[in-house]
Amino acid sequence: MFHVRGLARIYGEGTAAVTALAGVDFDLFRSELVVLLGASGSGKSTLLNQLGGLDSPTHGTLLYHGADLARFDEPALTRFRRDAVGFVFQAYNLIPSLTARENVALITEICRAPMAPAEALQLVGLGDRMDHFPAQLSGGEQQRVAIARAIAKRPEVLLCDEPTGALDVRTGITVLEAIERINRELGTLAVIITHNAILADMADRVFTLSDGRIVNERINARRGSVRDLAW
Amino acid sequence: MSLLDRKLLRDLAALKSQALAVALVMACGLAMMIMTRSLILSLETTRDTYYEHHRFAQVFARLKRAPNAVRDQLAAIPGVATVETGIAMQVTLDLPGLDLPAVGLLNSLPERGEAVLNRVYLRSGRLPLSPSTQYELAAGEAFAEAHGLKPGDPISAVLNGTKQTFRLSGIVLSPEFVFEAPPNSALPDNKTYGVFWMPYKELATAFQLYGAFNNVALTLAPGASEGDVIADADRLLAPYGGRGAYGRANHPSHRRLDDEIRVLTGLSIAFPLVFLSVAAFMTNSVMSRQVALQREQIAMLKACGFSNAQVGMHYFKFSFVIVLVGVGFGAIGGIFLGHQLVGLYHIFFRFPQLDFLLDSRVLVTASVVSSFAAFAGVAGAVRRAVRLPPAEAMRPEAPARYRPALLERLGATRWFSASFRMSLRNIERRPIRSALTCLALALATSILVVPSSFRDGVAYIIDFQWDVVQRQTVTLTLVEPGPARGVADFGHLPGVILAEPFRYVPVELRAGPVTRRLLLQGLPARGTLSRVIDAHPRQLTLPPRGIIISAKLATVLQVRPGDEVVAKVLEGEERELRVPVAGLAEDFTGIAAYMELPALNRLLLEGDRINGAHLTVAAGSWPEFLAAVKTTPRLAGCMIKNSVREGFRQTTAASVSLLQKIYMFFATVVAFGIIYNSARISLSERSRELATLRVLGFSRGEVGAVLVGELVLLTLLALPLGLVLGSFFASGIIRTLNTETVRLPLVLTAANYAFAVSVVAIASALSALFAARKLAAIDLVSALKALD
Repeated sequence: MFHVRGLARIYGEGTAAVTALAGVDFDLFRSELVVLLGASGSGKSTLLNQLGGLDSPTHGTLLYHGADLARFDEPALTRFRRDAVGFVFQAYNLIPSLTARENVALITEICRAPMAPAEALQLVGLGDRMDHFPAQLSGGEQQRVAIARAIAKRPEVLLCDEPTGALDVRTGITVLEAIERINRELGTLAVIITHNAILADMADRVFTLSDGRIVNERINARRGSVRDLAW
Repeated sequence: MSLLDRKLLRDLAALKSQALAVALVMACGLAMMIMTRSLILSLETTRDTYYEHHRFAQVFARLKRAPNAVRDQLAAIPGVATVETGIAMQVTLDLPGLDLPAVGLLNSLPERGEAVLNRVYLRSGRLPLSPSTQYELAAGEAFAEAHGLKPGDPISAVLNGTKQTFRLSGIVLSPEFVFEAPPNSALPDNKTYGVFWMPYKELATAFQLYGAFNNVALTLAPGASEGDVIADADRLLAPYGGRGAYGRANHPSHRRLDDEIRVLTGLSIAFPLVFLSVAAFMTNSVMSRQVALQREQIAMLKACGFSNAQVGMHYFKFSFVIVLVGVGFGAIGGIFLGHQLVGLYHIFFRFPQLDFLLDSRVLVTASVVSSFAAFAGVAGAVRRAVRLPPAEAMRPEAPARYRPALLERLGATRWFSASFRMSLRNIERRPIRSALTCLALALATSILVVPSSFRDGVAYIIDFQWDVVQRQTVTLTLVEPGPARGVADFGHLPGVILAEPFRYVPVELRAGPVTRRLLLQGLPARGTLSRVIDAHPRQLTLPPRGIIISAKLATVLQVRPGDEVVAKVLEGEERELRVPVAGLAEDFTGIAAYMELPALNRLLLEGDRINGAHLTVAAGSWPEFLAAVKTTPRLAGCMIKNSVREGFRQTTAASVSLLQKIYMFFATVVAFGIIYNSARISLSERSRELATLRVLGFSRGEVGAVLVGELVLLTLLALPLGLVLGSFFASGIIRTLNTETVRLPLVLTAANYAFAVSVVAIASALSALFAARKLAAIDLVSALKALD
């Protein structure tokens, strides 16, 4: 689905230039669950932003189904994000003035062939909290609303930026289970970035990033279930 | 409704007080715009319909006497469509119960049928009949109202030296006297001046004018040149004592109406412009704040596939809702006020019916203008929202860079408390935001200055016109110019302390292509009763050669002292004279020209002749004086200064005072709106920081001091700026109100400034109080967690 070669992202110019990505190569495929591991500043968020069309590369190739994302103009990138990508942010980024159901419906209103907001919320186990405002939900619940929002459009790829970063272990597990279930049941490519190495066991493949490069790629012969992760 | 719109409504509900403040400011501007534009439409439509239905003439002329046969010659002038001739005579009135002598202008009604031009409108009763047992006349409405006259009431007038008693047959209006004021007066004085109509035969007979006329009205054929017709008419009427024909533009009633419309036009632009700019500014500060708060939400929307256009439109809709509410309130306010004010015009302008007409085009214009103002205000914030790259927006804003404030760097630290230092740093840290808040406060101060300057201007006129310029008790005018020894006769009237003669001569002043008709006043070189004052204000001595003219007239004629103007004398034998402009006089109503009396007599090649005298009368002898005046023959008019001043107070001053109150109300609303809004924004921007201070151990008072201290510092900076800005606005707006009939001087008093400062201070104090209460309610833990 994604074909990435020599991808680099440099912020600033001259002596002030900061290299966030220093040339990475990899391919991502349908139905995979991929974990990008790395410490803070390793470039994993930058990479996720590149994949989601939120930012464009300085050098290198970034093909999505053979089309070069770097050459997409703003409307094309908007369409790409609208139809193909589901984002889950560390800070949830829900609209505080909309209920859980409305937060999901906000996105389903603008994309083709979405699932019903209620269905998406049921998938993440929030069928009974649909009419609550974000402020009335716990952190885990808010994150699951964010996941429901991301998957309701039936995206081809689900990009999750530290989805459990702000959550305790038990809540983290329910969130990860929701992501895994989407990946399994809908065949969505799921990319999770985290600094928590334990999550590596639930992935098909694990890339470790450091200083803007992929320093290790590990393939799990068998994916571990979220419940069995050694927290 | 789309969910983005639902978000919009809920966000607006959370922001309701701020959004309402902006909408109210906008509504104030729009209400004024709708009110003034609708009044203009009402006046113009009513005037045009009235003129058309009652066949208001286009060219007018007065003369001494011409036989009716001349009428056919007038009709034969190329370009003349219709001719109406008649008689108009000024007479002294004697009203039971009125101890002042009043003056009436008697107009003739045609012997047969209805008048061709300047037809009267019958308000009540009937028109006077010619052959009847008792003489009848119809009175103009303004005079009748001022004296409570009804059809059937008796009224006496001295016609050609003979006192006659008439019966009032009806109350009428005429398109010629929409503005019913004495000749050459910019102000109505309905107590002592009235217009009347009676049958031609009786009027003509009384003045030995039967078979002749002294008043002409003409209409022009389509495409005819007014100037040519006037020139031909002047030539034709000159042998009959013609005093110069003139067009509608010089017709006193028409011009006064025109001037009023011009004033309204000025007001319909100047004030709303200021208010709408303020509203645009406030929309901008609310929206900038909103966009800053919603950084993450904007980023999420964009990450999830909302386009820039959708996100931009969402924030534009914010301002659109505000505009909608503003236009709604503005329309209701404008229509309501317009209805109230239209009644006020009844004091000045007499129409058969003056109804409030809503200018519906202005509603559209108002919506467009305010949308534009709001969109202009929002555009910057929206552009920032749209430009925000989604990845960038996901991160919190970089912390602001703090450094010691300039005063601290200068070593003044030791005098400042920690909270004061924080206030200083906050102001310095975000200079643009501080400057904008300061500007908002300055604007609030400035708009409070404008309405008071109106009120003070009117008060100044009252003092200037009737204490500095005119210091007589009364002015007596003769029917015809008479020998100067008449002054001595006036001096012998009971109680007269001082008498100073004057000579009035109708002239047309010309400089280049511009001409103006007015009375050239001959006065003693340095009189004590009617004085000529310059802008400083010092009394001017009339030079033996040359004329002194109103500063406004100099602007109109585009002349300066030293330039020459041509004066065409419109009385007696027609003559043209070149006279130098010797100086400029300051006056606020009408336009005037003054000359030394002997010099004027010389110029007119006449002996010592006068039109009347200004008199000072001892208060104790007032009743005897009035009684004597009532029986003095050949008197055409008696103007009592205090009665004119009172008339001014009750009409012009009252209307300005009403407008001033409306504007002051609006300005106060706006000032509170701006200040409240600034405090709200500053509080919500800083709640997190202030909560942190509380957590760190600052007391509520100390934290409040940081916020209030900042507001106080900015207010102190803003006040002088606001006063300067307000003076500038007042000067600009008053300049647009400056017409040839009425001018308002720019008067800026300490009381005006003090009032503006106090309103802003009170509004700031209340807003600070509100902020302090909100501060007390901040939940420390959640404030630290929340992103807004």
